[in-house]
Order: sequence, then structure tokens, then C-alpha cells
Amino acid sequence: MKTRNKLRHLIASLTVSSVALSGSVLMAPMSKAADVELTMYSWRVEDKAFYENVIKNFSAANPGIKITFQSFPSADYQTILMSAMAAGKGPDIVHVRAYGALDQLVVPGYLSPLAANEVKGLNKYPVDALNSQRGFSDKRLFGVPFAYQSLGIFYNLAYMRQAGIQLPPSTYPEFIEQLKKIKAAGLQGLANGGSTHMEQMWGTIAPMFYGGTEFYNDVVAGKKTFTDPAFIKSLEAVQELFPYMPANATAVNYDASRALFFSGKAAFFMGGIFELGYFRNQNPKLKFDFMATPPMTSNGKQFVSTWADGGFGINSKTKARPEALKFINYLASKSFGVPFVQTVAQITAVPGVSIRDRQLQKAVRSINEWGTPYIMLVGFRYKNPTGSALLQTGIPNMLNGTKTARQVADDVNKGVGTWFGPFAGKI
Amino acid sequence: MATRNVTRYQRPWIIAFITPAMTLTVIFTLVPAFTLLSYSLYGWESFKRGDFVGFANFEKLSNFPFRGDFIGAFRNNVIVFVTLFLVQTSVGMIIALAIYRIRHGKKLFQAIVFLPVILSLVIVAFMWKLFLDPLFGPINSLALQFNLPWLNQPWLGQPGLALFTLIFIGLWRWVGFPAIVFLAGMNSINEEYIEAARIDGASEMQIFRKIIFPLLAPSFTIVAILTFIGAFEWFELPYVIGGVTGQPGGSTTTMALLFYRLAFGTVDSATVDVGLSSAIGVILFLFVGIGAALGSYYLRRREVQQ
Amino acid sequence: MSTKLSKAKEHASGRTPFAPIDIFLRGALVVNALGVFLPIIFMINSSFRNGADIYTSPLALADGIDLSNYRLVLTEGKFTQYLLNSVIVTASATFIVLLFGTLAGYALARYQFKFNTAIYLFFLAGLLIPAKLALVPLFIQLKNMGLLDSRIGLILVYVSGAIPAAVFIFTGFIRALPADLDNAARIDGASELQVFGRVMLPLIFPVTGIVGIYSAIPIWNDFLLPLVFIRDTSKMTIMQGISVFFGEYGANWGALFAGLTMAALPLVILYVILSSQFIKGLTAGATKG
Repeated sequence: MKTRNKLRHLIASLTVSSVALSGSVLMAPMSKAADVELTMYSWRVEDKAFYENVIKNFSAANPGIKITFQSFPSADYQTILMSAMAAGKGPDIVHVRAYGALDQLVVPGYLSPLAANEVKGLNKYPVDALNSQRGFSDKRLFGVPFAYQSLGIFYNLAYMRQAGIQLPPSTYPEFIEQLKKIKAAGLQGLANGGSTHMEQMWGTIAPMFYGGTEFYNDVVAGKKTFTDPAFIKSLEAVQELFPYMPANATAVNYDASRALFFSGKAAFFMGGIFELGYFRNQNPKLKFDFMATPPMTSNGKQFVSTWADGGFGINSKTKARPEALKFINYLASKSFGVPFVQTVAQITAVPGVSIRDRQLQKAVRSINEWGTPYIMLVGFRYKNPTGSALLQTGIPNMLNGTKTARQVADDVNKGVGTWFGPFAGKI
Repeated sequence: MATRNVTRYQRPWIIAFITPAMTLTVIFTLVPAFTLLSYSLYGWESFKRGDFVGFANFEKLSNFPFRGDFIGAFRNNVIVFVTLFLVQTSVGMIIALAIYRIRHGKKLFQAIVFLPVILSLVIVAFMWKLFLDPLFGPINSLALQFNLPWLNQPWLGQPGLALFTLIFIGLWRWVGFPAIVFLAGMNSINEEYIEAARIDGASEMQIFRKIIFPLLAPSFTIVAILTFIGAFEWFELPYVIGGVTGQPGGSTTTMALLFYRLAFGTVDSATVDVGLSSAIGVILFLFVGIGAALGSYYLRRREVQQ
Repeated sequence: MSTKLSKAKEHASGRTPFAPIDIFLRGALVVNALGVFLPIIFMINSSFRNGADIYTSPLALADGIDLSNYRLVLTEGKFTQYLLNSVIVTASATFIVLLFGTLAGYALARYQFKFNTAIYLFFLAGLLIPAKLALVPLFIQLKNMGLLDSRIGLILVYVSGAIPAAVFIFTGFIRALPADLDNAARIDGASELQVFGRVMLPLIFPVTGIVGIYSAIPIWNDFLLPLVFIRDTSKMTIMQGISVFFGEYGANWGALFAGLTMAALPLVILYVILSSQFIKGLTAGATKG
């Protein structure tokens, strides 16, 4: 008897308190419930502080929207993003790459298409940039472009002076001569190693050898393939630079190469303009400059590999699309573009942003005057095996003597040919 | 030793005791294994499953370009296994014998020898990756400082060399394990036999060859099987050091790495191919399972014969 | 023969006569010790140095014990969070493995019932299936269960991976124990659960440590499962954290070495204290001794 009463008491008191609790919850201030929380993923680990600042400014202007930024190492980013999306746990705002890597997200429907009227100023973006943010078959727009990149040569004049060189090279043969001179002086000419990110180094000089945009158009149309002698020459050009790479170059990777340059121990680094901010960050005391790849002859044609680097997109499964869209609009505005140029030192895709940084200006001019599509990234990353992947394994193999340039070109042809329609019957 | 007839009273307890362990094993080990088999029989678009394609994925593996990758990876695993087995077993044996024979400091040396084994492969891999950097790492710097050209190589840059460098790193980390296993085997040998042999005038070498070595057959079996399984499932070392593409030039690609690469993609490869990777998984699983079973059976028979 | 053996018994006072081969053998031990310690010492030394200095002079000695790299690792590098996650995951998983493993091992060893052998073989088969290969199905399975990107999901997968071996070892061990105590307790009126708890558990205790170590260390050291299943940096384990750290701070070698040292420290410290248990634990099942 007693226990049953006790039990009844217990239940009664629990009921009362739970009602009271829920009531008090309902009475809680409404403002807390209105905070929308979004997450954003990116591969730009180097720019984390910058993006968090951007978010801070955005949230100040848009109270009630909180965004958490997460960055992942570039090499793992695609994997991490894909698996997160597949699990239905992807970020609301996605920093996406362009072309093939974007398509990988488009095909399973992970991204929400952006209508032209949803983003202010979208029509002012260059057509090429917008196209880089469309799917391969699904031609809708899935991201707002964020940056342009180009390849060129960083140089350290102070270091070069030790070998008696006063000015950067004005032609490509002069470049080779300078490398020879530097090597003879017992110094290090190229910081680039021969192990990773070889596509980048190749891309810096390749268009000059394979014939720039004309060749690109021919290959995309299937009129030429990668065993074209001009393309093979572009591979051999990298081979010719091998003697000027660091000792044991086949084991020198991308990070070590960059470290060699920014610690002031090499004359040249061939790579992307996006290293500008990185080099400045790692060694603020280093004086260096950037130039477009010099032409073969003093009046010759110059070529600068260029591409739209990616964009910002919205997860198709996001629960707060209007808020995410607001942020996308912010990222497409000058409020983002201007600090982007100033802090991160990259070329923003936001139209109408003036660039005062001298080296960035050089890069922009070089893109405008001599830009040509960075061939593999732009045209051949849609399916497995990608042109990029084939070069990334092929070029080091050429440098370490396992394959000839011709064999590498053959491999690229065969690999790409397994999925690239226009090559059918030609390889 | 077991109770003979299980009473009706005991039965629910038995079920209660076994169920938790079994449930977990079924859900998270067995079900995925079977699902893997089914995945390999479908076509996939990224992580979206497509239509049933039967053995098409396995056929794809036998054609260009995946055939080359697959055979190359398999070849690498074989090289890893043979080298690891030969070197690990001999060096392990030497160290075990050394510890067995010294009078003082047995426990100390056991602990020293085994230390790398407890370190995570990830730590070991990253550590050596830095050590072997030709520009800033100590190995090449030492080589330059003391003028040792044979030491000044692109250890992780040359395709043929890189795999063996990885094997060396694996050895550094793992050789303590066979050493301890052999040592335990040696310790369990009855000393009287050895003493008797000594009295008979046998040399130490003969004692080792005729008494110790044969009696180590069971330890040998275990080391062999574990090395086999480990070698064919090699993943962490090549992944951390050579990256998912098996740099340099794909020469450090192992089957597990290839499997992972096709399952989750890389930054340069546009697509993920779950069907293909599952096919590799199935093949690898069958190969390791059957290989280990056969090897174990064969080696145990030899043990008994000894 | 018997006289020889008895003579041998007299001689067998643990004295191994010195043979020329011993020079080589002892040399091998020294080389091994150097090979083990030099890399570790170098790593620790570099962790006290400034990253830029390491670029200029890779082999130099540190100026003194400078902990600034460690500070970076623990705060910005988030290592405290990673270590905490590793502890949570490893401890929970090991505890569950021991709990479920002893229960199942006891049932299989002590009770003769129809499916006993079948279930035992079932667990044995589980030993052969590496989690590595079932990665994609596991991934999708966890996703469907809503356990992706959660420590619980990770723990469950680890437990199921370690259970077969645990059951195997426990079954073997318990089978060798005499059943008299159980039966005596039963006669005294103890329930099955009490027999397990009061009689069996204390007896199993010595081998629990071994199984514990055998299960815990591979879990602590594991890298692949968190890599695939965990995205949220606040849930990453230490080994995964190293890889993230190397991606973010790849240019700062001093910090990199500090990170490695920090990650290795917990186990190494435990190992120094409990080395023989570690050795016994990790070679369990392999040494039968």
C-alpha cells in the first residue's frame, strides 16, 4: 500500500515539474530560436583566418545568421566533401572547384542550381568563368566563381645577383641560359622538384610548346590528340629543365619546393599566382617577384595557362537556402572581392574590383593578354582517368627515366581516350 | 569441462551472454563484408548505385587502364610480402637469438626492440617522410655532411627505390614483433635438451640449427601468416608517404591503396568508382582469406611433422 | 639417456657459453637499439627548434628545451581535443570489447549446446575480415543508421572488429580453467549470472589485461576508420589529427616534429611503465606463452 502511494506521488510530481519545465521553455526569449546556423567547407587551409573574418563581417551585417568555417587539406578535400555529401551531412555552403571536380558533385545532385536572378551582378561575370561552374551534361549554374588563377614564374632577384644576373629573363632561351649560369656558380636555379604537382610546372611552359588555345580547341574537337609532336615537345621541355632542379629532384615534393623558394634558397619557382599570399606569409622578409613565362623570341607569342579556380555553391539538402543564398550574394559582391585581393592576394572573380597589388596586376594583365586554358584541368578532368592524373604520374616517370616523353603522351591519349568521345577511332 | 546438458534454465543466459558480441559482429563486420560482394556486382555513378551489371566490374579490371594498375599493385604487394618475410624473419631471428643468449638486460632489450611496434604506423610514416626529405631531412643532410654518396639518394623519388624504402620503414617499425614471437618460442624450449647437446660436444651453431630452429616451427607459422596478411593489406605507409596516387609515379600503389583510391577518389580524378573498388575488395578479401587458410594448413602440417 | 639428462640438469644453471657468434649477435642488438633511439631522439630534438632554422641547418642541436612548438600543437593544432577523443573512443571500445567478449567467451567455453562450435567458428571467421575492405559498405551503413561523423559509430565498428579475437582468447583461456568452482557455486544456489560474476570474472582477470591491451592499442593507433567516418574536427582522433595537422602546418617542421612527439607520448609513457604487459598483450595468440 505504502509503496503504491509513494509511486503515485512520484509520478504526480514528475508530471507537474515537466509541465512547468516545458512551459518555461516556451516562455524563453524568441530571439534565440531565430539564429540560423550554416556550415561552410573549403580547401583553402591557408586562408582560414581570412574567411572567418569575412564571415564575421557578414554576420555583423546580417544578424541571425551564423556560419562555421571548416577547411581541409587540398589533397583530401574532394574525398572529404564527396563522402560528407553522400552521407547527407555536407556543408550548407560549399567551396567548390571547377570543371570536372564540380561535375562530380553535380551528377549525384548534391548542389542546388543557382538561377540567374538569385545572385546580384551574375550577368557581369565573364562567360568563361560562369561556364567553369556548370556541369558537364547538366549545364545549369551551380556556383558563383571566386578566383582566377594563372601560372608563371616567381623569381628572387637578390639570389640571382649572386650569379651575376641583374635582370629577369626576357626570352625562354635566356631563361635557360640564366639557369646554366646559376648552376655553374654552384647555386640553385629551380626550386621545383620532380615529384608532385608536376602538372603545374609543366603547365607553366607547355602552351608555348604545344600551341596554346588553338591546340586546345583542336584537341577538344578531336582534330588532334596528345601524341601530336608539339605536345610531346612540351613534355620534353620539362625534361630539359631537369638538370636545374634540386639534387635528388625526383624525391623533392611540392611543399619542399615551395619551402626552398620562400626560404630564399633558389632563384626561380614555376607555379601558380596563388602562391603569392603563401610566400609572403611564410617569409615576410623575402623580396621576390612574379612574371609570365617569357616567349621563345623577343617578339614571340606569349602564353599563360589560366583557369577559373572554383566557386561557392549551395548544398541541395540545405535547410536554410534563403540564408545561404544571402551569403552567396555577399561572396559575389565587392565586400568580398576587395578584401580577397588585399588579404589573400589572389585574383578575384568578382567583376569590377580594382587590383592595386603590383604582382597581382601583372598576373591579371598576363591573363588578359596571353591567357590560354590550362588544358587538362579545364578540359580533361571529367572522368577517370583524368588528363591531370595521367600527367601527374607520367611526368615524374619521365624525369626518373621510367618512360619517355612519347610514352607518357601515349598513356595520356589512351587513358583519356577511354572516356573522351572525340578521340574515338583516332588513337 | 563444459557442463554436459544445458538446462532450460541456463539457455536464456547463454543467449544473453552471446548475443551482444554476436550482434555487433554481424552488423558491423559480416553484413558489410557481404554487402561489399553485392556492391561489386553493380554499376555506380559516384555514390549513387546504378544497375546490376554482373561481373562487368571484374571485367573492367582486366582491361586497360585498370588492368595495369591492378597487376602493378598486386606485384607490389608480392614484393612487399617476399621482402618483408625474408628480412623480417631473419633479422627477427637474429635479434631473438641475441636476447636469448645474453645473460643480463634481457628485459631491457626486449623493451627496446619492441618499442617501434607500439608506435602508430601513421606516426612512423610521417616521421620517416620528414627524415627522408632530400632537401631538409637528416638522412640526405648527413650524407652530404659526411660525404656518403650512396646515402644521398632520392629515397622516395625513384620508382624502384621508393617501394623498398617503404619496406625499410615498415621493417623498422615491425621487426620487433617476430623477434619477440621467436624469443617466446625459444624460451619455451626445454633447456635440458640444449645442455645435453652441449655435453655431447655440439657447437652453438649446431645447437641453433638442429634444436632451436626446428622447434620454432609454430612461431614461424604465425609470423608467416601474419606477415602475409599484413603485406597484402598494406595501406597506411604508402598512403601517408606516397599519397593516394602511390607516388612516385604510382610505384608505391598497393591493392588496398588502389581500392581506397577508387572508392573515394582523389583531387585530380574526377570520379569515384565504387563498383570497381568493391571488385578489388572482393578479390583482395578472397585472396588473403584463402591464402592465409591454405598457408596455415600447410605450415601446420609441417609443424606436426617436425 | 637419463643420466645424460640429469647431468644436463646439473649443468643447466643458465650459463650459456660464449661463442664467437655472440659478438655478432650482441652487435646486432646494439645496432637495433641505435636504430630505435636515434630517430626518436632526433625527432624530439627537432621539436624544440624553430621551423625556419630546421630548413637552414637540418642536423643542428636545439638551443635548449623550447616548448613553443608544443604550445602551438596543443592550442591551434587542437591536439588536446584530438587526444581527448582518442581516449574516449579507445577506452569505451575496449571496455565494451572486454564486457561482451568475456560474456561470450564464458558461454562458449562452459556450456555445451547445439550451436557452440558453429558460433565459435563464426567468431573465428570474423577474425579474417578486415574493416579496411568493407569501408564503403560500412560507410553507407553508418550513414543509414545516422552514425556517420559520430564517435559512437566509430566505437561500434572498432568493437565489432576486436570482438572475434577477444572471444577467441577468452574462450581458450576459460576452457582451460577447472569447472569445479562453477559447479560448487551452482550447487550453493548461485544464479548463472552470479556464477559468471562472482566466480569466473576474478579468475579471468589476468588475461583481461592482455586482451585489453591487444584490443586497445590497434584502436588507439588506427587512422583509416576516423579518416573515412569522421569529418568534424572536434571529433577527430589523434592519429587523424596528425594528418590534418601536417596538411595545415606542413611548412613548419618544428611544429610537425612536436606534433609527432606529442601523439606518440601517451603510449610510449605507458609502455615504459608496463613494457612486459604490452609485449605480452600485443603478441597474445601469437606466442601461446
